[in-house]
Amino acid sequence: MMNKIITGLSMILRMLIRQKIVIILLLIIPVFFLTIVEFTTSERMLPFQLASLDEDVFINISEKGISFIFFAVASSGFLVSFLALNLIQKNNAVNRRLIICGYHPIELMISILLALILVIVLIAIYIGLLTNAFYTIDHLSRFILGLVLIGFVYGSYGLLVGSLIKMELEGVLMIVLLVNIDVGWLQNPLFYAEAQNQIIIKFLPAYFPSQTAIITAVTDYSASTSILNSLLYGFVFLSFSMLIFFYKMRTK
Amino acid sequence: MILNTEHIAKSFGRNKVLKNISFQLKAGSITGIVGENGSGKSVLMDIIVGARSADRGIINRNGKIGYCPQRALLFPHLTVQEHFIYFAIAYGIGRDQLKRRSEELLLHFNYRKYKQEKIINLSGGTQQKLNLSIALLHEPDLLILDEPYNGFDWDTYQMFWNYTNHLKKQGCAILIVTHLLSEKERLDRIYKLENGILI
Repeated sequence: MMNKIITGLSMILRMLIRQKIVIILLLIIPVFFLTIVEFTTSERMLPFQLASLDEDVFINISEKGISFIFFAVASSGFLVSFLALNLIQKNNAVNRRLIICGYHPIELMISILLALILVIVLIAIYIGLLTNAFYTIDHLSRFILGLVLIGFVYGSYGLLVGSLIKMELEGVLMIVLLVNIDVGWLQNPLFYAEAQNQIIIKFLPAYFPSQTAIITAVTDYSASTSILNSLLYGFVFLSFSMLIFFYKMRTK
Repeated sequence: MILNTEHIAKSFGRNKVLKNISFQLKAGSITGIVGENGSGKSVLMDIIVGARSADRGIINRNGKIGYCPQRALLFPHLTVQEHFIYFAIAYGIGRDQLKRRSEELLLHFNYRKYKQEKIINLSGGTQQKLNLSIALLHEPDLLILDEPYNGFDWDTYQMFWNYTNHLKKQGCAILIVTHLLSEKERLDRIYKLENGILI
């Protein structure tokens, strides 16, 4: 079993690295997002409250600073969910052939998950360091943890979409739609602070990881509740995606 | 008996593709299945290898199965050699057998020079050679081939039949989907799939 998982992981990583579009997306998108922030945001201070901290806690940070953190989270979520979709959906028919030839769906799923975890960590470190180059993050390692969490939640979402939807275009659309509305808009603390029906926003996948990233990046407060809820959200997506993958890929 | 199927039926909505399919395959035989496009040949192959479930019926398979799908199912960004390694792990065959078999197949089908090439850089014919080689890698007892020579040139087509006859002599049962009536004389038995039944 271990031999199959390690070989599967090694082959999946080779395939990822050899896809030029993947490497280009990984390198370009965060730089692009953060450069746009650098050129379009001001240095004015914006005191705001975070939903998961006490009501009397105000965070004082520049518009530029909070925008860097917010766009780092958004690009992490988008990239990881896109890659997760790619991992599970792209070679579906060939993976099915591997299973007919003797792989167990669980062995293949573990290989995909391990590859995804590696990708999540690498993307989080890259975006964390890149963000720090634009704007000094107070607690960089904790901020990277927040990026890992958004990667985990949205990576699991990407796996779920990929296991449910057969066609690539529809899958990408589902990813872009949710990432855009959730991470790219509603979780922006500047929007969220004045939003109506905040309860809806609290139930979206990026809520807890975004809170974690912001709390860990610019405050000394504990983010343990947000971290736990992020993990819970991610595991729910992951469990559904694994069940669907197993059901579809098993031999009859 | 290497393969025994009894009363296989499969429908997609109201479309009854397979109604009542029963047949057996003996060791050391080549059996052909012909039929028009959309007659359900590939669905039947999928059911036999376990890629699809039948609505009813029984399938008994004895021995190792090798399956060559109609369309070359390969990873575009892996090399030919990496495919052999990946599928050898799936089949559970050791390094020595992998090395011996992959060399044999690369030489027999004359594409050894592409061993380190990625699939996206290969012609359709060479991809089809690898598609077939994967099915043969673990020396199967039952070989299921769904129009395996799409894209083959004449020489490769001859090599394919030479190899198939060699496997038959070794006791392999071969089931081949074909639409070329010129191949009739190469087959021990031929079935026609029409209106969901084998004639």
